[in-house]
Amino acid sequence: MFFATKFMAKMITAVLFLGLVGLCSVRAMGALQSSAAQANPAQQTWRKEFNEVCSKTQAAMTFSQEELTDLILRCDALLPQIEKLDESQKKVYMGRLRMCRGLYAYVLDAKRNAKK
Amino acid sequence: MPMCSMRKGTRKNERGLLLLVLACGVFLPGNIASAQVYLPKPPPEPSKYGEVILDNHSTVGPGPVVFDHWLHRSKFTCRLCHVDIGFAMKAKATGISASTNREGFHCGACHDGKKLFEGRPIFAACSNAASDKQCDGCHSLGKQGVRKYEYRKFTAKFPKGIYGVDWEAAESSGVIKPADFVEGLSVKKAPMQSREDFALKAGYSWVHPVVFSHEKHSIWNGCELCHPEIFPSAPKGTIRFSMFSNIEGRYCGACHGKVAFPLNNCQGCHPGAPLWAP
Repeated sequence: MFFATKFMAKMITAVLFLGLVGLCSVRAMGALQSSAAQANPAQQTWRKEFNEVCSKTQAAMTFSQEELTDLILRCDALLPQIEKLDESQKKVYMGRLRMCRGLYAYVLDAKRNAKK
Repeated sequence: MPMCSMRKGTRKNERGLLLLVLACGVFLPGNIASAQVYLPKPPPEPSKYGEVILDNHSTVGPGPVVFDHWLHRSKFTCRLCHVDIGFAMKAKATGISASTNREGFHCGACHDGKKLFEGRPIFAACSNAASDKQCDGCHSLGKQGVRKYEYRKFTAKFPKGIYGVDWEAAESSGVIKPADFVEGLSVKKAPMQSREDFALKAGYSWVHPVVFSHEKHSIWNGCELCHPEIFPSAPKGTIRFSMFSNIEGRYCGACHGKVAFPLNNCQGCHPGAPLWAP
């Protein structure tokens, strides 16, 4: 009887231990997965914003001064995110952002000059 | 009138004439020399026109790359490469390297071993698996018989002008259909808002005005390739465009005289001007 109780206690301890290990590993895996998933969306967020802002260059002349100012501010907000990218991506996207922002600033300036 | 005062007057005239001749003798050769500096040089032969030597790491590796604009511009718009892919308009400003190519940027944006051209995959640029012969296909400066395409054969069916292929005619006739989108880098854009053509009156009465077509230029270049880096913002009439600045590679000279039709083709910009082809 004593042995049976002791055996049962050991079994319960082992099951509880395994359960705890399993739970911890599941949580750890979840944390890893979520950090990977977070890295990707962050990457996708700047790219999505970049695509949205710089897809409008061909219609730049149709925007109001307020819209152009807003687009310039959005370009400025993208700059620190692009500066954090790896070297190759940074080379390409810094140049593209500069051209995109430059065009909006150019059109804004032209509109201001036309009003004078 | 007394005789001696007449002689004095004649002597004065003679001296004046002599000074004028001397002044002309001193200044005229100088003026001719400076005028020669500011005349557009005759363009090189069409196969060499727009050739760019990429020589970032010539002391190591397979040697400089020879890039032919005539080959690539028949397939892609200027905007695609100089805006979306990020090739700068000035030498050594792109930061191109084997690693950027391998990572799918610069040449590697298309030359990735996966994208198709005429039904076949385009070779992967700077691949570690490439043989020396494959490297020589691009790194071809000073190497004979390594280039895959030859100008005469490649452009045989393209319409020609005085200075080689007439690219505008080639596009309008449908001989070439330059692509303006590369998967993974290009952004789907809003439709182009066409701007009106305008005339720029020349500074001299004997020069025909320039007729500038915004539409023609923006189809190939988009807007941001020219503004503001080549044509900066300024109140109307404050910038004086001149042939001198064009010859120096500014304004129109950023492309014309290098890749787009040469500055010697007066009629290209000044319609109605006499045909002059040095």
